[in-house]
Amino acid sequence: MKISWEIGGAQGAGVDTSANIFGAAVASAGYYIYGNREYYSNIKGRHSYFNLTISDKRARSISSVVDILATFDAETVFQHFTEVRGVIIYNKGVKDTKLDRVQSMEPEIQERVKEFLESKGLGTTVADALKYVESKGVKLIELDYDEIVKKTAESVGVPMSVAERAKNTAAIAASYALTGLKKDYLMDALKKTFKQETFVKINSIAAEMVMAGIKPMFQLKELPKQGRRIQVDGNTAVAMGKIFAGLSFQSYYPITPASDESVYIEAHQEVMAVDPETGDKRKRPIVVVQSEDELAAINMASGAALTGVRAATATSGPGFSLMAEGIGWAGMNEVPVVVTYYIRGGPSTGQPTRTSQADLLFAMHVGHGEFPRIVIASSDHVEAFQDAVWAFNLAERYQTPVIHLVEKAIANAYSIFDVSELELDRLRAERGKLVETPDGEFQRFKFTEDGISPRVVLGKAYVFYTGDEHNELGHISEDSENRIKMYEKRLLKLRTADREIPEEERIKVHGDADARIAVITWGSPKGAVLDSVEQLSGEGVKAQVIQIRMFNPFPKNLVKKLLSNKEVIIDVEGNYEGQAGVITKLATGIEPTNYILKWNGRPMTWDEVYDGIKLALKGEKRVVLHGGA
Amino acid sequence: MAVPKVWIPEWNDWCPGCGNFGIINAEQQALSELGLTPEDVVVVSGIGCSGKTPHFFRLPISGVHTLHGRALTFATGIKLSNPELTVIVNAGDGDQLGIGAGHFVNAGRRNVDMLVILHDNGVYGLTKGQASPTLRRGEKTKSLPRPNINDNVNPIALAISSGYTFVARSYAYDVKHLKEMIKAGIKHKGLALIDVLQPCPTYNDIHTKEYYDKRVYKLETEPGWDPVVRKPEEEGEKMAKAMLKSLEWGERIPIGLFYQNELVPSYEERIATNAPSYKDRNPSKVRFEDAGRYTTIIDDILKEKEI
Repeated sequence: MKISWEIGGAQGAGVDTSANIFGAAVASAGYYIYGNREYYSNIKGRHSYFNLTISDKRARSISSVVDILATFDAETVFQHFTEVRGVIIYNKGVKDTKLDRVQSMEPEIQERVKEFLESKGLGTTVADALKYVESKGVKLIELDYDEIVKKTAESVGVPMSVAERAKNTAAIAASYALTGLKKDYLMDALKKTFKQETFVKINSIAAEMVMAGIKPMFQLKELPKQGRRIQVDGNTAVAMGKIFAGLSFQSYYPITPASDESVYIEAHQEVMAVDPETGDKRKRPIVVVQSEDELAAINMASGAALTGVRAATATSGPGFSLMAEGIGWAGMNEVPVVVTYYIRGGPSTGQPTRTSQADLLFAMHVGHGEFPRIVIASSDHVEAFQDAVWAFNLAERYQTPVIHLVEKAIANAYSIFDVSELELDRLRAERGKLVETPDGEFQRFKFTEDGISPRVVLGKAYVFYTGDEHNELGHISEDSENRIKMYEKRLLKLRTADREIPEEERIKVHGDADARIAVITWGSPKGAVLDSVEQLSGEGVKAQVIQIRMFNPFPKNLVKKLLSNKEVIIDVEGNYEGQAGVITKLATGIEPTNYILKWNGRPMTWDEVYDGIKLALKGEKRVVLHGGA
Repeated sequence: MAVPKVWIPEWNDWCPGCGNFGIINAEQQALSELGLTPEDVVVVSGIGCSGKTPHFFRLPISGVHTLHGRALTFATGIKLSNPELTVIVNAGDGDQLGIGAGHFVNAGRRNVDMLVILHDNGVYGLTKGQASPTLRRGEKTKSLPRPNINDNVNPIALAISSGYTFVARSYAYDVKHLKEMIKAGIKHKGLALIDVLQPCPTYNDIHTKEYYDKRVYKLETEPGWDPVVRKPEEEGEKMAKAMLKSLEWGERIPIGLFYQNELVPSYEERIATNAPSYKDRNPSKVRFEDAGRYTTIIDDILKEKEI
């Protein structure tokens, strides 16, 4: 069972809070949720919306077709009315608003909506858009937001300005009433969110007022919940993973959509930890530095890593471009540093608040010269947590920068999942060849069979680092023979990693091994791909999904083996070039037969991937997806 | 920890007569006289001739030779993760005032307890003598095709206005003076800068040993010169006096302490205000794992997000 709910309004009008209240209420009743947040690079006034999937099973994607659309304003109706198949909740006061009066709407979008409405022989008011959906069987719920605010204010005895946000509560209360769930969950969520008595009262009264007049459209029943469930977005999941893994130093420069991670860590700057010496629980500090730029951010983290702490930074494309220099130094000096790379739309400033998978090849080749860059990619919130832990282990074991890819579509989306999925008890720390008690002058770059030298931290031995080519002691060396050996030593680590890390851990395979169709994917599209493949499977079309989790070193033998018996190989990813497809071809010699690509900045929905796979199976080589407002 | 059985310093490849010799000698003497444990000293450098400083030490230390302009950023990460280390940055004028000017300024805002030694010779030596940010307009050093048309940066005034809490100038050929300044800079709580006037015998034929020898004079010899802020209300006046003094350049060039203010909390103290455990728990010594098991307990954090 799946219900798709969407809410939209002007940025700053409370769309997020409303979505969270609604989500929390439904989740308390035992449902899983996957929610995606879309917003402009703007503080107040531009259109933002939240799209949620409610499901009795773990939800992992959003849908292009919306069951319930709750709107705060005219723009939300104009931007989304064609997506709706169930109900639109709208404000009576905007019915007569004409399209060309909605100034926050970009002219290109206005023009498209205008053409659509005119092609249906309609005018260009909100009422016209509603008339269209009504003709398609969509139900309308009209609420008088001003009236609700007025009545609420009167009943609580506060000025109307204080009760202003009752509008938002009206929209979510109407949505909630449609689910058929008992109202207690919503009331609890309101209480939890607003805390202060007056505001709880205002919102509860508004909610009751609206719910009284609405008949349920679904008959959702309370579901039994076992164990603990949490609701986290991608930024928080990564932050939690880092903290769990022992992060002690995080530096960052503000950038969308990465900063929320660092801000979260700063808010949790002291965490409880067991002191192994005494067995006591004691607080430990985490240093968080907001640096002057990303050059500083990566280098501060590298400096910290040299002292033995687990150190990381988090950024997005423009910042990662600046970090290229520092990542090169970390590669040259074999520094275990972690960079969480939240991909957004590029090049240049691109689309700061929109998702992308276009930086995969860049991440794999960042910086000049040849050195090992380990690159991993998370596809959901549980992986985002676990991969943050994994990244540190890889960094320490192979003494090289690890780039952890997380897209905006994961960073700003959230899901509800069982804490047990994190498998905290299974996760172990690996510190590689760390030497606790060294002796005197230390050969930090000692030649070894696997390319990995014993590592000592600053303060425990006399140790040298330099971005120049160096000898085993870490002093500058331009000797041609040393150059050959030291250069090989660094790159040998990648071979060692390739030999040691089981290829089964570097991909996840889902679905039918005997299928003649393979779908290659990575990162955020995974949920949509799995949901579409599940749907197809129900229709008798079997496919095996190969989700790539590590791009460098690439699991070439296993991927090659899996692809070798396939007739159709569909590469699904969020870029123009089919970058994972390019890498697959380079590594295995096998090229995808079809591509489903999306680069409009919006996450893939499961139904558009479903349609895409069908088109691919009909022979379309390259399907370009357009979904999302 | 044992002292290395054999400590073989690298062969020093600076030009004969380079001011860097005076700097490294003063630095080593200062470290010896302060009796610092060698393994606790980390010398962080940038790029250029000065960048090689840690490699050329004849005392056991650890050296981190970083990127052009970025020495301060690495040093910040090192010091904040292990506050017990004595961290010294050796970097050039091009390093800190050109490509790394942003880091130079922002380091002042943080006031991390470190010493910055600015190798100030007016040229980019290792790339054959281009004008550096401290070369004055109209000056034409040996390898410049035309006189410099850029104005110079005043490192003393820039440091004071950026928040450095110990700002001094010294001269590479007055090793004794420089040594004392370095000792004071290391002992200072907060971020210290020593702008070291340094001839480049190969590329700077204006600011030579002869040029400086007859011009430098010591601020401490000036009657009434008292650059130390002892009460908060003295801050503005002492800053202003120091900045005014830093404009003096020509027949007489002052060296010595321009400004010192230990009333400003260090970055470490500021972190400890937010995270009191930072005071007695050096991050580099916290055991985040025990036989592979993570020691951090995230129950509370998970609870915040529980549905």
